[in-house]
Amino acid sequence: MLEIRATMKEMSKKQMADAARRHRNGDGNPLGANSEIARKLKQYYDELVSDQVPDRFAQLLSQLEQTEPAQKKD
Amino acid sequence: MAAVSQSFKTELLGAIPSLRAFAVSLTQNADRADDLVQETLVKAWDKHESFQPGTNLKAWLFTILRNEFYSQMRKRGREVQDSDGIMTARLAVHPAQHGQLDLKDFRGALEQLPEDQREAIILIGASGFSYEEAAEICGCAVGTIKSRVSRARTRLQEILKISGEDEFGPDAISAQVTGSNAA
Repeated sequence: MLEIRATMKEMSKKQMADAARRHRNGDGNPLGANSEIARKLKQYYDELVSDQVPDRFAQLLSQLEQTEPAQKKD
Repeated sequence: MAAVSQSFKTELLGAIPSLRAFAVSLTQNADRADDLVQETLVKAWDKHESFQPGTNLKAWLFTILRNEFYSQMRKRGREVQDSDGIMTARLAVHPAQHGQLDLKDFRGALEQLPEDQREAIILIGASGFSYEEAAEICGCAVGTIKSRVSRARTRLQEILKISGEDEFGPDAISAQVTGSNAA
């Protein structure tokens, strides 16, 4: 009995370590990789990320750069 | 003020798609989102010296964007939603057929979440931040992020009428939360 409990404890420790590792590596999903919510959330977000970026942002950065004459490169 | 380096500028440009996605998630409005991103870029440019090279630029930018979002909301006199006080009486969308959940329905469900829960589930489940990073971005404890993500997921499941889809028993995330003393 004790042995089983100890084994279970080991297992959950291992599972937790695995989960932490998956999370660190970025290939795990805390919402459950195969869950419907996780998939839809990814789909929703990826669609937003892949939306074409309007020119106004590149223009804005160029403007900011121009107002700063003492520019250096690194 | 020291000049902004080329690499900083290049990284800013590269972060724009993620910033826009996060901004839309927060505002639920494309025009407001782009204004928010613009404001974020200007702020990031102005205070680039406070960024520590080698640390996570994306997290730094998300923090600026998020602060800007909440400060705009306060200026508009809109009360920031507190999820604890939100009644969950809103109508649910049509029950989803298994595996046939429509993205439009999902978007609608996401919109119904209080801001704090929505941003938490986006940062963790979509933007790829760790709980620690998300906590830093939101200026709260790791345990708070965990509980917000958990509540967001439960709420989405309720709205979308999804149940019993967890891979590892009843609720892996809740288990994590109750196992932690952080709040």
